[in-house]
Amino acid sequence: MSSKPNVFVVDDDQAMRNSLKWLIESVGMGVETFSTADEFIRSYYPGRAGCLLLDVRMPGMSGLELQEHFIKHQINIPIIIITGHGDVPMAVRAMKAGAVDFIEKPFNDELLLESIRNALNLDVEQRALQAERAEIATRLANLTPREHEVMEMVTEGRANKEIAQTLGVSAKTVEAHRSRVMEKMQADSLADLVKMAVAANIERGRNEA
Amino acid sequence: MRVVKYNLRRALAGLFRQLRRVPMTLLSILIGLACGALVWGVLDQVQPRALRDIFAQELESRLDQQARETLIRFENYVEAHTSTTRLLANHRRLSTYLDPVYWLDNDQQEPKSYYAPPPWLPVTSLWRTLVEPGKILLLDRKGRTRELYNLDLRTLPEELVRVDERFLTESRAQAFMTTLEGRPYLLISELAEDGTGTDMGYLMMVVPLDSEFLLASQQGISTDGVLIALIDADEQRFLTSSDPERIGANAQLERVERDFVVTAQSFFHYEGSVLNMQFATLVPRSSVEATQRRVEGVERRQRLIAAITFIAVFTLVFYLLSSRLNRILRRISHFSRRALGRRQPELEHGNQLYVLEDWIKHFIGNVLQAREEMRQEYESEMERSETIKRAILEAALDPIVTVDSKGTIVEFNATAERVFGHRRGNVIGMNFATLILQPRHGDLFATMLQRFAMPAAEELETRGEMEALRADGSYFPVEVAIKSIQLPQMKLFTVYLHDISNRKRAEELITSLAKFPTESPNPILRVNRTGNIIYANPASAPLLAYWGCGQGQKLPLYWRNRVIKVFDSGYDWESELHADEQDYLLLITPVTGLNYVNIYARDVTAIRRAENQAREHQQELVHVSRLSTMGEMATGLAHELNQPLSAIANYANGCVRRLPEGVEGADELIYALGQINSQAERAGEIIRRLRRLVGKQLPVRTVADVNSLVREVCSFVEFEARKTNVIIEQELSQDPLPVRVDVVQIEQVLLNLIRNALESLLEVPEEKRSLVVRSGYVGGGNIRVDVVDTGTGIEPEVASHLFEPFFTTKESGMGMGLVISQSIARDHGGKIEADPLAGVGSRFSLNLPVYEEADKEQEA
Repeated sequence: MSSKPNVFVVDDDQAMRNSLKWLIESVGMGVETFSTADEFIRSYYPGRAGCLLLDVRMPGMSGLELQEHFIKHQINIPIIIITGHGDVPMAVRAMKAGAVDFIEKPFNDELLLESIRNALNLDVEQRALQAERAEIATRLANLTPREHEVMEMVTEGRANKEIAQTLGVSAKTVEAHRSRVMEKMQADSLADLVKMAVAANIERGRNEA
Repeated sequence: MRVVKYNLRRALAGLFRQLRRVPMTLLSILIGLACGALVWGVLDQVQPRALRDIFAQELESRLDQQARETLIRFENYVEAHTSTTRLLANHRRLSTYLDPVYWLDNDQQEPKSYYAPPPWLPVTSLWRTLVEPGKILLLDRKGRTRELYNLDLRTLPEELVRVDERFLTESRAQAFMTTLEGRPYLLISELAEDGTGTDMGYLMMVVPLDSEFLLASQQGISTDGVLIALIDADEQRFLTSSDPERIGANAQLERVERDFVVTAQSFFHYEGSVLNMQFATLVPRSSVEATQRRVEGVERRQRLIAAITFIAVFTLVFYLLSSRLNRILRRISHFSRRALGRRQPELEHGNQLYVLEDWIKHFIGNVLQAREEMRQEYESEMERSETIKRAILEAALDPIVTVDSKGTIVEFNATAERVFGHRRGNVIGMNFATLILQPRHGDLFATMLQRFAMPAAEELETRGEMEALRADGSYFPVEVAIKSIQLPQMKLFTVYLHDISNRKRAEELITSLAKFPTESPNPILRVNRTGNIIYANPASAPLLAYWGCGQGQKLPLYWRNRVIKVFDSGYDWESELHADEQDYLLLITPVTGLNYVNIYARDVTAIRRAENQAREHQQELVHVSRLSTMGEMATGLAHELNQPLSAIANYANGCVRRLPEGVEGADELIYALGQINSQAERAGEIIRRLRRLVGKQLPVRTVADVNSLVREVCSFVEFEARKTNVIIEQELSQDPLPVRVDVVQIEQVLLNLIRNALESLLEVPEEKRSLVVRSGYVGGGNIRVDVVDTGTGIEPEVASHLFEPFFTTKESGMGMGLVISQSIARDHGGKIEADPLAGVGSRFSLNLPVYEEADKEQEA
């Protein structure tokens, strides 16, 4: 999070790696190169910002397999696929698996650099979103189970009286829970709270999936 | 008298005998002649007389008419004279002449005579058609002749010097015939006046009625020597005639009538005449008779022709009749000789009728005799056959029993005694059914007998299978056959009993054997020489359904011919048949002795399917391996080339981006440029490797027929083609197309071209897909193989890049196929050409040099 965004290049061909590094560094971005997918996995930790330039056709773990690995481990680094000539079906598969772009060799440097910039921006956004979700999750974790219930019902748009009837408590008690929830969740308004609930639900839905 | 009669009879008999000898034809001619002569004779008697009568009548009327006509002409002529005289008398010139003349009644003056025509006569032409008068007289009122113009120079008859009152007292003008001095004259007198109208007297014309006058009166009309004359009726003599040489004056009528037919008529106008004068027309007898003879001659000739015609027709009819009769006789004779088998006496020549009579007599005799002989023969034959029949009956292998209509035994042969163990004497009179048959078959037997009671049952023969009973009480199967025997008084029945135990056993065996093919799970058929299916077992139903025929019908033409071939060869023949869903292995076995073949079919569908699948798999494997080898090579090359090229691009782009910002250190740029250089070298190395790879496969070259290569490649892609519903049409040249090539490489090229075409066809609708592979010679010692498809064709912008490496229009293509193919073709001294076919697809042609024998020698 604190680290400088980097472009990770994974390609089995050394000349390719070095030339890409040379090209990308020429616009002032940091580049780290890896000769195999395994090497990349070993050195990468999820907190690292940046994007990944990935050659689909490689000995050992292929680009697609690496993608699967990321999905499995919930790593959200944006991936740009580099394809050789005629690897279009493979590129399509990669895109379906969540790659943000694919670029054919030999490169148009403008397109490549544009794509890298987009990918880095996306990474920043994703990271911000993820940080927010993590904050909300922390706050939610501080709620008691009863407060959790009340929050759910409130965000579903139910009236206090209704909630009281469902839970079998007095309206006053509900009122108290509600104000505590607002406080714990650091929500300025009901709309704020609903937004948080939605974000949390997405997070939860993703976890469940 | 009696003797005469007898002699006559003998003579007649003799004549008849002679007649018998005369052939019918000759006889008919004779009879015809006799009849003709008879008719002739009778007609000759009757006909001329009748003819003569008719002729005489006709002649009379004709003469009558002629006579009237001549008279009328004569009278007209006289009338013409009268008119002329009247004209003269009243003429002005006469009256002028008479003006100064004065005749005294009592003067005794002699008449003045002149010997020239009178001056007052106007024109002589007045007389042109008339006979000029002999004399012209002028008389005074008393009748005395005063002036005489003597034109014929004869002396005036006394009567005319003083003309009789009779002449004058009558009407003023009259014609008058009379005889003067023995000659007939025509006198015409007319009153004459002078210029003052004083009555002077008369003008008189004296015209002699001579032959000249008579001829002139007929105005030249004279027919066949017809004469006219004037007759003195009282004295029966001729006064004058038109032909004085033949009939002179004073000729007696009687004498003249000998030579002429005379018709006399009186003059009605001149009755006053003292003379009894008549007008006569004379026709010479000779001419009349000649006419009559002519007519008779014509009539006789006609009669003769009629008689001859009659004889000819009569004879002909008789001749035809007799010849016909002759023929019939000959035929009858021939026929009878054959029918009776006897010699017929030769037909004697002579009158056929008599011959026929004789012959019929003879024939009847023969018939009778033949009948007698036949009867005798028949009787002896009967006797003999009776004996033989009895012997047969006794010796028959089967029991034979004769029964009457009630079923009572009448006869029992020796075999029956032996088989059934009964004595003949004991069983006669017993009921057959009760004695011999199994009780339950009694009714059946009775029914069979009853059938003969029906009308028209004589020819009937009934058969039935029953069980018979021996005397020892054992049963055995028999076939019972009944035939009826019609005797004059009654009807009997012969019952034949045939032991069929053996047959029964054999039948059972055959039936069980016959079930063999029926139970077979495989089709078995029996077909005769003409291709008719005699037998087909149940398992052959699908096969028959495929052929579209059934038992008893004919096989399809191909199989009929096949069956005949198998017959002719006498050997088994095996073949495979692909029916709709089944594959059969057919074995055709000839059974020549019985003139049919057996067809044993085996359903090999499953086996063939397995084989096909194996083959398809194998083909697919070959295909895949070839494809992958080539594809992998191409892909690998592309990837390998991409790497250095991309690296070069990256270094170069990096340099470009760095340079404007100011170079940090020359070392860095030198590094990048060095990298570019080394990557370029790497790319070059790859290209060199590729060359080496292609170049390496040179050595294996063999002579091959391009057609066979095409066929093999087509069989490779057949599976694929079928999947895409394309039939590859092979229009290959009839002659072999020899080339000296690396077979595998050229096949690779062809495969590539055909597969490209197939892929291109996938883009168009199924009904528009067509792929033709054509081969043949082209000019310049080259062979060409065209692959023509109706696919998407070649875009113009694509056409120029077709043979560039890594150029492709396919999603998964490497863009190396055509490049490699082209390089292989070049290696072989040929080339590949691509032509877009506007709007209908494309054509790729592989050109290769022809391999010729000369090349081989060169090599050697």
